[in-house]
Amino acid sequence: MIEKLKFFVRVAGLNLWHFRTRNIFSVTIICLSFLTVGIFLSLSNNLRHTARELQNNMTIAFFLDKGLPAGEVEKLEAEIRSPDFIESVRFVTPEEALERFRAGFPELEDIVSSLTDNPFPASIEARVRSKASRSGDIIGFVASLRSRPGITDVQFNQDWVEKMQAFSRMAGAIGFFLGGILILASFFIISNVIKLNVFARHNEIEILRLVGSTNLFIRIPFLIEGTVLGLLGSALSLGLLFVVLEAFPLYLGSSLGALQELLSFRYPSWPQIAGLLAAGAGIGFAGSLTSVSKFLKI
Amino acid sequence: MIELFHIWKQYQKPFWALSDVSLQIKDGDFYFVTGPSGSGKTTLLKIIFREILPTEGQIVIDGVNVLKIPDSRIFALRRHLGIVFQDFRLMFHRSVFDNVAVPLQVLGVPRKEIRRRVFTTLQQVNMHHKIWELPSHLSYGEQQRVAIARAIVNNPDIILADEPTGNLDPELAFEIITIFKEINRRGATVVIGSHDRELIRHFGDNILFLQKGRIVAKEGREDKEGRP
Repeated sequence: MIEKLKFFVRVAGLNLWHFRTRNIFSVTIICLSFLTVGIFLSLSNNLRHTARELQNNMTIAFFLDKGLPAGEVEKLEAEIRSPDFIESVRFVTPEEALERFRAGFPELEDIVSSLTDNPFPASIEARVRSKASRSGDIIGFVASLRSRPGITDVQFNQDWVEKMQAFSRMAGAIGFFLGGILILASFFIISNVIKLNVFARHNEIEILRLVGSTNLFIRIPFLIEGTVLGLLGSALSLGLLFVVLEAFPLYLGSSLGALQELLSFRYPSWPQIAGLLAAGAGIGFAGSLTSVSKFLKI
Repeated sequence: MIELFHIWKQYQKPFWALSDVSLQIKDGDFYFVTGPSGSGKTTLLKIIFREILPTEGQIVIDGVNVLKIPDSRIFALRRHLGIVFQDFRLMFHRSVFDNVAVPLQVLGVPRKEIRRRVFTTLQQVNMHHKIWELPSHLSYGEQQRVAIARAIVNNPDIILADEPTGNLDPELAFEIITIFKEINRRGATVVIGSHDRELIRHFGDNILFLQKGRIVAKEGREDKEGRP
């Protein structure tokens, strides 16, 4: 059994080497197809990640009157912390608010440094639990506090977060559809490349058939070759994907500002990497199986 | 024994490549099928090893109706046959050794034994010195000898050879047929499609004459021996 396996691997290896030019072409096509899928996967990963981050960062900022006594601030903090959907509460001093602004908008440093007075009020930031789904309760809670003495304004990004979540769901659905088409198209391209490879060697299959080979004997080396080509192509695409993910942010620079976060890539997860490799091997195997079968009929 | 019963073959209407060919080739026979180009020699041989199917008729080899063998079992029939194709059908990306070894690899013969038998067979056709060459580096005649080596390496019961000396000089052609004759002497049935009159005259024990797909004459060993 091991002897036979060794024989098949040796034959497959010889064929892979002998038809190397054609095989390099096949691997390139497989690699490019998987690279497209990989880039799409990275973008989609990033969108999902951004949406999740936003969901985790749903905060309500309560801006306070200047000079509100510390006791009042503590009372307000306790009141804001009380509902179930509030995860945590934090007091932000005017100085911290100014520092945050400086860090967030370094290009406005000139204006900030020319200020004689700190225009930022103190605030209480409440982080909403990510799983909080009763948005009506949150809106009612915010409305009840908005008119409380000591609170000058309330900033609540729920509306934006909900829009982002809807956008993410839509992106997911479109991604599923487009990704599906892309994967299907890649499957056909790759399996046809493998088929062309096998078609080019139909004489060899014919000879093997005529000297009394069983179909399995003919198939096995082709299946090994197809699997190796698929695996090589997908592995190479992951390598290229790594290069693209490293190089793209450098190419893009920081010109897109906030949009850059949405357009950036995220590395595929280990299960996704394993999936891509398995898909490569699987498509190579299936492509060889179907194309060799065509020549095994009498 | 190879028996053909009323074989008809049509590739394209209205022409018949073979018309009502019936034939019996006994075990151990040395048989020549001859006739001009397009007479049906190749078609007849292809039908015997079931590369193509006849339009009508039956073929029985050693008591087995070849046309009733399922496609998935046809390999078993072919393992008893050694075939030399008119166009050699060599794998040009594999060495002479690999080409000749294929029928033995198919049978699962151990590697050491394969080496020994391939070398011995190549010696028989005087190609042992080019064992690691690629067929593309060989002359036409050398390729033909490799094809013959592949056909005889597993000592088949029946050898079918389509124009096995077509590209060889008379001396080498004579040598090759001598090899077939030797294999025949060891018990194998040999059927050769050829139009080489000189060879047929010299070696032909049994001769089948075809013309436009029809048998026009048969000549057996007995007829020759009875001839003055």
